Amino acid sequence: MLRGEHVMARVLRGRLVPHRLPTSDRRALDVAAELSGLYAAHRDRPRAELEERLAAAEEELGPRLDPRRGFRIVRALGKLLEERSGWAAPTPADPYTVRTRVFELAAAMPELPSEEVGLLEAPTRDEVLSRVARETGLEDPASVMYADRQGAQLLGAFEEPAPEELLGRYNVAQVQGVLYGARELTVDLGREADARLVFHYVKLMDLIYRLETTGRGYRIHLDGPLSIFGGTRKYGLRLAKFLPGLLLTAPWRLSAAVEWRGRDTTLELDSESSDLASHYRGPREEGREVNEAFVRAWERARDTGSWEMEPGPGVLPLPELKTALVPDFSLRHAGTGEVAHLEVLGFWSERHLVDRVALLREARRRGHRFLIAASEKLGAAPEVLAEAAGGEVVPFKNRLEVKAVLRALGEDAAPDV
Amino acid sequence: MIELRYDSGTLIASGEAPPPEPFVWDGRTRQWRAPANAYRNTMLGLRGSGTPHEDRAARFEKLSLESRVSLEPRPYQRAALAAWRRKDLRGVVVLPTGAGKTAVAVRAVERVGRSALVVVPTLALLKQWYSVLTDAFGGSVEVGLLGGGYHEVTPLTVTTYDSAYIHAERYGDRFALAVYDEVHHLPAEKYAMIPKMLLAPYSLGLTATPERPDGGHALLPELVGRICYRLSPEDLAGTYLAPYELIRIPIELTAHERYEYAQADAIYRDFLRKHNLSMRSPEDWQRFILVAATSHSGGREALLAARRRREIQSGALRKGVTLESLLRRHWNDRCIVFTKSVEEVYAISARFLIPGITYETPARERKEILDRFREGRYRTIVASDVLNEGVDVPDANVAIILAGSASHREYVQRLGRILRPKDGKQAVLYELVTSQTNEEFASRRRREAAV
Repeated sequence: MLRGEHVMARVLRGRLVPHRLPTSDRRALDVAAELSGLYAAHRDRPRAELEERLAAAEEELGPRLDPRRGFRIVRALGKLLEERSGWAAPTPADPYTVRTRVFELAAAMPELPSEEVGLLEAPTRDEVLSRVARETGLEDPASVMYADRQGAQLLGAFEEPAPEELLGRYNVAQVQGVLYGARELTVDLGREADARLVFHYVKLMDLIYRLETTGRGYRIHLDGPLSIFGGTRKYGLRLAKFLPGLLLTAPWRLSAAVEWRGRDTTLELDSESSDLASHYRGPREEGREVNEAFVRAWERARDTGSWEMEPGPGVLPLPELKTALVPDFSLRHAGTGEVAHLEVLGFWSERHLVDRVALLREARRRGHRFLIAASEKLGAAPEVLAEAAGGEVVPFKNRLEVKAVLRALGEDAAPDV
Repeated sequence: MIELRYDSGTLIASGEAPPPEPFVWDGRTRQWRAPANAYRNTMLGLRGSGTPHEDRAARFEKLSLESRVSLEPRPYQRAALAAWRRKDLRGVVVLPTGAGKTAVAVRAVERVGRSALVVVPTLALLKQWYSVLTDAFGGSVEVGLLGGGYHEVTPLTVTTYDSAYIHAERYGDRFALAVYDEVHHLPAEKYAMIPKMLLAPYSLGLTATPERPDGGHALLPELVGRICYRLSPEDLAGTYLAPYELIRIPIELTAHERYEYAQADAIYRDFLRKHNLSMRSPEDWQRFILVAATSHSGGREALLAARRRREIQSGALRKGVTLESLLRRHWNDRCIVFTKSVEEVYAISARFLIPGITYETPARERKEILDRFREGRYRTIVASDVLNEGVDVPDANVAIILAGSASHREYVQRLGRILRPKDGKQAVLYELVTSQTNEEFASRRRREAAV
């Protein structure tokens, strides 16, 4: 994430265009490589020295890259590299103890300890320091006095990015930076997008959403609790942290009301043209194979009664819980139009399971029909699950059979597939 | 029956009947919602009308606080506190720098006897308040810190405006009293959100200068309460503020430095002239670097010359020697050295073996240094800007300024540091300025602005 002062954008007819470094830009790639190299070559050296080098690089590389904004670009890239670094203390001694002792001894002298040995036999600086050296066993106490300052830390780990990766990260970070000033974010999520993932990040960032159904999917308005009392930029930072979560899926369009340098502007992006890549790893999803196998089995099945699988699962809003339940699959009965949702519980951790089951129960309470396919490896007995979630449970071993699901849906006559 | 709950900086009401203003229906989550600071009036209203209600929002704690420090309140401090109590524990107290605003707040915290949050503008003040509150109440309650790398929230917590803006919604149900130090910072768009996220029915604002050039002070009554007590510096002068003597010491460059400076200066000015550059603001400096870095002829030299110039200015040999002689002369006084930069603090600290305080200094160490300074175990300390804005160092009687930046406010407040009342104490303020360089200009501007 960038600091506010690194963020750059221009306004084109009310539209906000965040600054961008094309990953094909030779000069930008060179600068990125040079800066990464600076970091990589600095392992085990103090931070203050690196900062000096970076400041020099700013003045040298910056203007060549962009006459007006070069400084800031270089500084911003430096900030992103800093996030990939780990720092270590330069000495095992405790600088606080050392300096406190030095100050105490010095203050106890009848006169200011002088730097030079004079004729008057006044106390000297060396006297104080060598006494501390004897007491602590340190060779040079003066050099340890402030070794706990940030600038004295040594660069330990550094994860060197490829130049393209750094520029990609920069481009996302600039969009995020623009979002710091956002009052509201509206996301149009296509039906094929992973809504479950999106709501995972909505919940994680503690945002409040409003959901509308559109022809192509869903429209989600995002802001925070205080926003209803007049738009506030308070939740901009969270919206910015939400963005890379959204980037993990597609298709989407987003529009944000952003206050930029005192002007009301709009930021608009879409997954087709934005060319932004997420650096989030995404939530750990366990047992996706079961779901994929089930989709294949469903497609191969000769007869699924009159049940059809929806192209994307439904989104069941649970506003009081500040989230929405996105099941694994939604099935629709062609004849009656009835919709049943299917949730596959694979090899889940207990905490996840408890959370998920609470959501399922809540959704059922609102009249949604749910089937729960529970793996035997889950460790929870089907009866217990049925009780906890208040719904029908379809147990499965290694693969979830289409037949078993149809049977639970009431298609008793389902033929073998 | 109305039930109140706290939810991320807001207040949620549920029950059969719709709750009173300023609750609004939040269609997003299907709840009645109000900003958290509606708590005071809502509770007063519910109690007044005898409406059955249940308060599940407030998580304040009663604290039995008794100050360990015996503060002999000055008459105006007592009057300020009384005025605040008459306004039902909501309002702004205006006292000049050096009049002991902190003491008023300590009394207020003691008086309310419930969990309190103190909000301050800078990390230096965060640490200063930590130490004052620990001194006063450390026996009965652990003082918490939120901001500047600290995240320990206790029933008596100090935080910064920036951290409060981010975190208030997580802890806004825990404090009955909010104290805003330098409250003139509060009416900014961001910071004005802080009181809205706090249930705190009681609030106290402190400042020497409530008026804001943008007119924002008009919001103070809504955010903290009206001004309930006000005292001007003239009301105090002579009686409580110690007089001081200002001694300005020009630092001449040595012959060698002067020669080097003139050379560097010539190269630098030449370049400015050639490229039609002026040098009046920080942006001008940016432009200069830009032009110099892209220029093919003489740019690099101009950059180096500019740097060398600055080095000579700030590192003037005589400045160090003069400082040394002043420190020696005042070895038996309580002396504070102010520097322009953090790096200078560390350089002086290591050179003269005197404790340094900057914004980097951890809260506990900072308190220890200042305590020892007060006790006389340390004779001299060196600090960067961190001792500005109302930091209390009561026993200092000598201050040495090593060329600060040209800012009116900063200068006055630095003077304020040693303007602490102490019987018959003659305070001395030295200002060391390198002559014939642009530091002289900064110093002149500072003094003119101070008049």
